[in-house]
Amino acid sequence: MSWIKEGKLSLWERFCANIIKAGPMPKHIAFIMDGNRRYAKKCQVDRKEGHLHGFNKLAETLHWCLNLGIREVTVYAFSIENFKRSKSEVDGLMDMARQKFSLLLEEKCFLNICFAYTSRYEISSAVREMAWGVEQGLLDPSDVSESLLDKCLYTCHSPNPDILIRTSGEVRLSDFLLWQASHSCLVFQPILWPEYVFWNLCEAILQFQMNHSMLQKARDMYTEERKRQQLERDQAAVTEQLLQEGLQASGDAQLRRTRLHKLSARREERVQGFLQALELKRADWLAHLGTASA
Amino acid sequence: MTGLYELVWRVLHALLCLHRTLTYWLRVRFGTWNWIWRRCCRAASAAVLAPLGFTLRKPRAVGRNRRQHRHPRGGPGAAAAHPRLRWRADARSLEKLPVHMGLLITEEEQETSYSDIASLVVWCMAVGISYISVYDHQGIFKRNNSRLMDEILKQQQELLGLDCSKYSTEFANSNDKDEQVLNCQSAVKVLSPEDGKADIVRAAQEFCQLVAQQQKKSTDLDVHMLDSLLSSNGFPDPDVVLKFGPVESTLGFLPWQLRLTEIISLPSHLNIRYEDFFSALRQYAACEQRLGK
Repeated sequence: MSWIKEGKLSLWERFCANIIKAGPMPKHIAFIMDGNRRYAKKCQVDRKEGHLHGFNKLAETLHWCLNLGIREVTVYAFSIENFKRSKSEVDGLMDMARQKFSLLLEEKCFLNICFAYTSRYEISSAVREMAWGVEQGLLDPSDVSESLLDKCLYTCHSPNPDILIRTSGEVRLSDFLLWQASHSCLVFQPILWPEYVFWNLCEAILQFQMNHSMLQKARDMYTEERKRQQLERDQAAVTEQLLQEGLQASGDAQLRRTRLHKLSARREERVQGFLQALELKRADWLAHLGTASA
Repeated sequence: MTGLYELVWRVLHALLCLHRTLTYWLRVRFGTWNWIWRRCCRAASAAVLAPLGFTLRKPRAVGRNRRQHRHPRGGPGAAAAHPRLRWRADARSLEKLPVHMGLLITEEEQETSYSDIASLVVWCMAVGISYISVYDHQGIFKRNNSRLMDEILKQQQELLGLDCSKYSTEFANSNDKDEQVLNCQSAVKVLSPEDGKADIVRAAQEFCQLVAQQQKKSTDLDVHMLDSLLSSNGFPDPDVVLKFGPVESTLGFLPWQLRLTEIISLPSHLNIRYEDFFSALRQYAACEQRLGK
């Protein structure tokens, strides 16, 4: 039985979905599913039931996303900070996760679940990996760049989220995807997560569509600026190289071009070697984790 | 059929953009009238969207629409006759005041008003906010740092009177030698994307350099160490960011430091009134951070 509920959208929902799909559509949405406990309090049920409603709402939301052609969803299920909660609540959440998530493995889309996660920990972990690369002699410190850091994050196989939605009316990121969502469309909706409806999702996507061209422009500008700065750094490195060899820094333009090309080609080689080694290291670690828990 | 959907989408998109533009334009040009317009728009929107199941966010608790100067100078009441007393009274009336406030401008360069931003900075100082950051994603303020600082000093004189020494400002990234650092009450920083991801990368490179020199091991790096290597070390994380303009994004503002920051959106910084600023502070004061618990 599929965990992501099979079932059709109503006629009216399908009609509106088709209208929305005529505009630019997000490929990846991130959710902070906030409000389960407030919902439980509101409905006068216990917290465990609130979280259960939350999980069911996640299933429903994934179904809507699939219908809208959104193939990747990331959710903030449990923060490292949430370990501060009572033992019974934490245990309850862990049990529920164990039960529900194993059903997901047969689905045709990507669901990324951030569990025992904080963004700062993820970013430091990525920096640690790059430092490991330097330690192993695979990388030079100057190879460290934004794009390399991107590739060392847990989310390296996913594009950055187009939209980050937080429910329950809170207007903060709470250590979730701080790096990846820097140019995402942020949508803060006052509705509690278990009460989320299809129209709330549509509202979020409409907001994304209104911001789409402005955000694209900002992202492009940012990328251009990063490229320009990298080129500047490379130029400076080549100048130093030439000076060290006793050659004229601004002399032969052809020589400079060749050196620049060589510099970036060598860097690319090192980076590829490092990323392969990192992939192996992670695969080994996962395999070890698998056998350890068996 | 696809053609029909596309047509409907274009009409819907055009209406939404028109609504946004008109609201923005009216708010900027006609303060008071815009308040009336906004009320009408909300009523109209609710009437149209309610049958579709959309719910509108509750209108922010904007201050009463008094026909007032942007700066609370005159007006009824004894406290209002002494603006500084009023600001301090306002600050005391809040449950909590941010220690560090960020001002994030998403509007284009040609729509930027240095005097309005300076007003915001000076209001922050007046209510007692110790750290203030000003950010835009194109680095406009950084490039025109001295122009902004001049405007801030001018407004400080105007609004806070000649008794400036009590409200001395440290311009945290100014290259000028004539910083007024006496009784440092507020520090102002001008930021750009350089201070965000690029700074994290710089810190990472620094650490990797230490590893290459075998002064550190890769496993030595944790959240605390990375935090200490960033340029913002010593400056507290922003408690709240006021985001101005139509773009619903932080556009690269201090991603690391934004961990627990409340993000409050305001339509525009142009002709911003003290009431709008203060109502954002009230919104901040009302929010509850559970920190995972």
